[in-house]
Amino acid sequence: FDNKLFHPSTQMGKDPDMASAVAAIRTLLEFLKRDQGETLFGLRESLTSATDCLTGVDSSVAVSSAGELFLRFISLTSLEHQDLSQCKKVMEERGELFLQKISMSRAKVAKLCHTFIKDGAKILTHSYSRVVLRVLEKAAAEKKRFSVYVTESQPDAAGEQMAAALRKLDVPVTVVLDAAVGAVVEKVDLVIVGAEGVVESGGIINKIGTYQMAVCSKAHNKLFYVVAESFKFVRLYPLNQQDVPDKFKYKADTLRSSQSLSEEHPVIDYTPPSLITLLFTDLGVLTPSAVSDELIKLYL
Amino acid sequence: MPGADKNTDLSERIEAFLADLKRGGTGAGPLRGSAETARETTALLRRITAQARWSSAGDLMEIIRKEGRRMTAAQPSETTVGNMVRRVLKIIREEYARSRGSSEETDQQESLHKLLTSGGLSEENFRQHFPTLKANVIEAINELLTELEGTTYNIAMQALEHIHSNEVIMTIGRSRTVEDFLKDAARKRKFHVIVAECAPFCQGHKMATSLSQAEIETTVIPDAAIFAVMSRVNKVIIGTQTVLANGGLRAVNGTHTLALAAKHHSTPLIVCAPMFKLSPQVPYFPFSPSHSYEQRSVTHSLWWVRREILSKVNVYCPVFDYVPPELITLFISNIGGNAPSYIYRLMSELYHPEDHEL
Repeated sequence: FDNKLFHPSTQMGKDPDMASAVAAIRTLLEFLKRDQGETLFGLRESLTSATDCLTGVDSSVAVSSAGELFLRFISLTSLEHQDLSQCKKVMEERGELFLQKISMSRAKVAKLCHTFIKDGAKILTHSYSRVVLRVLEKAAAEKKRFSVYVTESQPDAAGEQMAAALRKLDVPVTVVLDAAVGAVVEKVDLVIVGAEGVVESGGIINKIGTYQMAVCSKAHNKLFYVVAESFKFVRLYPLNQQDVPDKFKYKADTLRSSQSLSEEHPVIDYTPPSLITLLFTDLGVLTPSAVSDELIKLYL
Repeated sequence: MPGADKNTDLSERIEAFLADLKRGGTGAGPLRGSAETARETTALLRRITAQARWSSAGDLMEIIRKEGRRMTAAQPSETTVGNMVRRVLKIIREEYARSRGSSEETDQQESLHKLLTSGGLSEENFRQHFPTLKANVIEAINELLTELEGTTYNIAMQALEHIHSNEVIMTIGRSRTVEDFLKDAARKRKFHVIVAECAPFCQGHKMATSLSQAEIETTVIPDAAIFAVMSRVNKVIIGTQTVLANGGLRAVNGTHTLALAAKHHSTPLIVCAPMFKLSPQVPYFPFSPSHSYEQRSVTHSLWWVRREILSKVNVYCPVFDYVPPELITLFISNIGGNAPSYIYRLMSELYHPEDHEL
């Protein structure tokens, strides 16, 4: 199989606004269409190795959860149809439909969340999240006045990207140091962050610095909202930071090239559900305890 | 023509109900408690189903939605009206699906599973006509009415499990549900009740009178004494106006104070609320006192303030408090006891997500 043809980065190159999970699913769907295998087992094997290939390039939680979701999708569909060629046809149809639905999920999330932003609100957010940006766009379009504090989010200064995008919307934005979160949180009314993955307990995995922000906002009794699409739900149950697998914590090339991981900086952290007020997803407004219900419905 | 008579009769009843709702907001109308409001709403919806002109489930749902919007607009603080409308809409959906023969019971909600396995963008438009639909819907609404009749009894039945002898129970204001709950336990157990009076309307006084008539030892305390007395309290049992979708409460003002005091002393907080009070609303923070239905006039209770001062003073008197779900230990409803984190599940069983916005 020739993965270079439909590498996820070419997918995202066409549309930088696409979530990495959506790009991964699109790649896997293309792969499915071109697969020449004769048996279901063979199909599943080649899809698994394709997913491994993808995570070898971009080892984020989102891509891994997309891969698992796609495999689950294959299993569920194959249960209904025994004949492989018919099965594949149904899979392709449903796959396209699935892609269509999840590309609308960001709009659904924005529609749900923007009503929670009051006029005159001061919002704190972390790093660059396209979902959060979409929510703030929608709130700005509804003529709400609000101001945003965004953390720089080192090591890649993604916060600057967020600030630039917000300035284009004429939203007053201040970039703060990651270390300044504790000092800034008393000024804000609410905190909105995105998520790379939503785990079974209702907690989230997101860019490093999110946990800090959550602890500070809990200490000051501020509302901590998470916006995430439903395909980011992943079957992990970490109890603390150490439980998060190394393959998510470090970038794929870091994992390959570094001598000892203890000298590397993790790029994500885990925020437990007790610090989260509400989750806004395309399945509705959920409390953290509702997340595991959704996962159970899908995987069991 | 008989049809026209039925229509005008129906619209007269709807208008009368709307007028009652508007007056009920000031506490003066015939609709006193939320239980009566729920019963009246459901009876009215049954009448609409029986008498209005509709040919398919979609039409009926449109009519009910329209009337529901008018009813909620008449008295926004009375959320049971909207809840009952949503229950009836869900009943209609279920009966329609049953008539069609599809086993969709579990697939009502959006879920990841449904995203993956659905075969097409199924836009249910409820246009098919079924002759038995009307009878089925009316029968289901009758079942709902029976359930409503039995809610207080079902809640009171659980009292003996939760209240033990020689306990000190605290409550606030006046809740009919809690009153019946305590009276039922008093038949077999001896315990002491402390009632916070809940100024400025002091509904707690009526509660205390009623409880003492049932031979329960009752003490009335002012709201300011709640924290001071809390260390001697074993349990706090309260009612509420609405249960919100995240497990929080919209309850009479002073309840948040009571809940915080209970949390500080690690005293369990039990909320007695029937299922018809469960609303799919999520609280918008912060509760702003500018909501027009959230304040009541208190000038009559400020009679002792001199007029010159009164005209220069702004008086904020919110009617309701928001109590976050972290402060609540248990919800006792007509279907049993539940944790606040489980409320979302109960809600998904009662209402369809598309009906959250009427």
